[in-house]
Amino acid sequence: MTAVISTFEVCRYFGDDQETMVKAVDRVSIEIERGEFTAIVGPSGSGKTTLLHLLGGLDNPTSGSVELSGTNIADMSGATLSDFRRDHIGFIFQSYNLIPVFSAEENIEYIMLLQGVDASERKRRVADMLQQIGLEGLGNRRPNKLSGGQQQRVAIARAMVSHPQIILADEPTANLDSKNGIALLDLMKELNQQSKMTFVFSTHDEKIMSRASRLIHMHDGEIELDELR
Amino acid sequence: MLTIKLAFRNLFRNTRRTVLTAMLISLSLAALISVDGVMRGMLTLLVDNVTGTIGGDAQIHRVGYRENLDVDLFMENAAEIERTLQRDTSLKSYSPRVISGAMISSSYNVAAGLLYGIDAERERSTSKVAQAVLRGEYLAGGDNELLIGHSLAELLEVDLGDRIVLTLSEATTGELAQALFRISGILNFGMRELDDNFVFINISAARKTLAMTDQQTHEFVLTFLNLEDAENPEHGIFQQFNNTETEALSWLDLNKEISFIIEIMAYSSLMIGAVLFLLASLGVINSIFMSIYERIYEFGVIKAIGTRPSEIVRLILWEALLLALISCVIGMLLGFAVGSWTATNGLGGLGEVEFSGITLGNNILGEFHISQFTTFPFFTVLLTLAAALYPARFAAKIVPSEALQRSL
Repeated sequence: MTAVISTFEVCRYFGDDQETMVKAVDRVSIEIERGEFTAIVGPSGSGKTTLLHLLGGLDNPTSGSVELSGTNIADMSGATLSDFRRDHIGFIFQSYNLIPVFSAEENIEYIMLLQGVDASERKRRVADMLQQIGLEGLGNRRPNKLSGGQQQRVAIARAMVSHPQIILADEPTANLDSKNGIALLDLMKELNQQSKMTFVFSTHDEKIMSRASRLIHMHDGEIELDELR
Repeated sequence: MLTIKLAFRNLFRNTRRTVLTAMLISLSLAALISVDGVMRGMLTLLVDNVTGTIGGDAQIHRVGYRENLDVDLFMENAAEIERTLQRDTSLKSYSPRVISGAMISSSYNVAAGLLYGIDAERERSTSKVAQAVLRGEYLAGGDNELLIGHSLAELLEVDLGDRIVLTLSEATTGELAQALFRISGILNFGMRELDDNFVFINISAARKTLAMTDQQTHEFVLTFLNLEDAENPEHGIFQQFNNTETEALSWLDLNKEISFIIEIMAYSSLMIGAVLFLLASLGVINSIFMSIYERIYEFGVIKAIGTRPSEIVRLILWEALLLALISCVIGMLLGFAVGSWTATNGLGGLGEVEFSGITLGNNILGEFHISQFTTFPFFTVLLTLAAALYPARFAAKIVPSEALQRSL
C-alpha cells in the first residue's frame, strides 16, 4: 500500500531561545496508508494537535517535511495551500466547527461552493451526506438548533463531501458525553469502512481510542509507541 | 450567492452594533445631503441677488468703460446691438442702460452717487428695480421721475415727491449739466451698495440730461434662459461681442469676489463631507474589526477547510457593501426628509445674513440636486468599502493554527 500522508523528521518548535524553546513536535516520522483509521493519542500537551495541524498544512514545520500523496505541503503557502487543503484534506475540530449563520445544509454545501461544484451536484451531495450521517430532515436547522453530537455529524459530512484524501479530526468527541462520543466514532468508523477514506484523529479518551485500527502514542512531542490493532 | 447570504447574515449577528454603524454612516450621509441642500439654497439666493437685482447674467459695454465708468465711453450702435440680441434665442431678456456718476442734491444735503437711466418696461424682466419699490410708484416714462435708495433718501433727508437735483457732465462735451427730478419711489434692494448710492430715472431723460442720442448706450444688461449659458465663454454672445470695440462679460467676470466665494462654498461642502466621512470611516473600521475579533475562531475554521485569503477579503467587503447600501437607503430617506423640510420651511430664525454687501434675507431654502442622491451615496459606498479593506486584509492574514487555539 502507498502512504496517503507521511512526515519525515518533522519538527515544530515554539520560541527562539534555546532555554525556553518548546518542542511541540520533535523529529516525528510517520506514514499513514490509505483507508487507515488512526488515532493519535497522548496526554494533554503531548503534541497531538500540533502534529495534526502540521499534517493538515495549518501550520508550517520548523524543519522536516510533510507529504500528502507525494506533494510536500510544508513548502506551500497562501492561496495554493488553501486550495490544496480544500481539495485534499477534510477537517473536524473539537467544537464550534460550523458557521453559525448557515444551516446544516449550507455548512455542508459551503466547501463545494469553494470548489466550484455546480448547484445541482451540490444539492445532490448534500442530501446524500445528510442521509449518511442520519440527519435527513434536519438540513435546514442552524447549528444552535442541533445537539453537540448532531453538529459534529454535520462537521463530518462537511469534511467528507469534498471527497478529500484524508480527514483530520482534532479531538472530535472532546465536547460530547461518552455515549454521543462513542456514537460519533462509530459513525466515523462506518464511513471509513464504506468509503475507504483515511481518518486520523486525536484523542485522550481510552474508550474512543479503542475504536482505532492504529494508535500513535505521543509524549513530549515525540512518538512513544506506534501500534497496529 | 452563498457568500452574499453569509455576508448578509453575518451583518445581523450583532444587530445593535450593525444598527449603530449603519446610523453613523446614514446620519453622515443625511447631514451631507442637508448641508449641501442649504449650501445650494444659499448659493442660489446669492447668485439670484447678484444677477437678478441689477447686474444681470451678463453685460455688454464699450471696451474700457468698466475701468473708470467714463461717461464718454458709450456704444454708438444701440439699434444694431439690439437686433443681434433679439435674434439670440438663448436670451430671456435684455435692456439698455445709460450710466453716469452724479452729484445728488436735496434741499438739505448732497451726496455722490450713480445715476442709472433705464428702460422701465424692459427692466422689469432684467432686474429687480420694480420689485425693490418700498414706497411710491415705479417709473412710468415721465421725464422728471426718479427712484432713490432708502438709505440715500435718509441721508438726503428727502421723501416721496421731494425734489432732487442731479449734477453731472454731458457725455459728449464734458460740460456740466443739471436736471431737476421729483422722487416717485423709494427703493430697498437689501444691497448696501445700491441702497446707499443709486438713483434711477427713465433712459430717455438720462440721455437728454447727458446730451446723448437714442443710439448711444453705456450698457446692455442680459439675462439668459439658462444661467449656464452665461457661464460659458464659448457662447455666441461672448464670441460676438468680445472684440476691439465692445466687451461682453458674464456675471462671474463682473463679480470676481462673489465667484471666489462661490468656489469656497463648493469646497466647504467637500470639506464637510470629507470630515463627516473620515469620522464615519473610523467608526466602520472599528465596527468591522470588532466583528472580526469576535469571529477569529470561525475564520480559523473556514480558512482551515480551504477558504482562500482573497475569499475572506471578498466576504468582509460584501458585509461592508451591504452595510453601506442599507445605510445609504436610510441616509437618503433621512436626507430627503430634512431636505424637504428645509426646502419648504427654510432656515428661518437665523436673522439677516449679509454676505459681501448682499443681504440674504432670513429664510434660506434648501435645494435638492441629483448628485445628493447619486454621487454622495456612491462615495459613501466607496468610502465604506475603502474603510473595510484594512480589517479585511487583517482577517485574510489570520493563521488558522493560531486562530483555532483561541479560547472562545
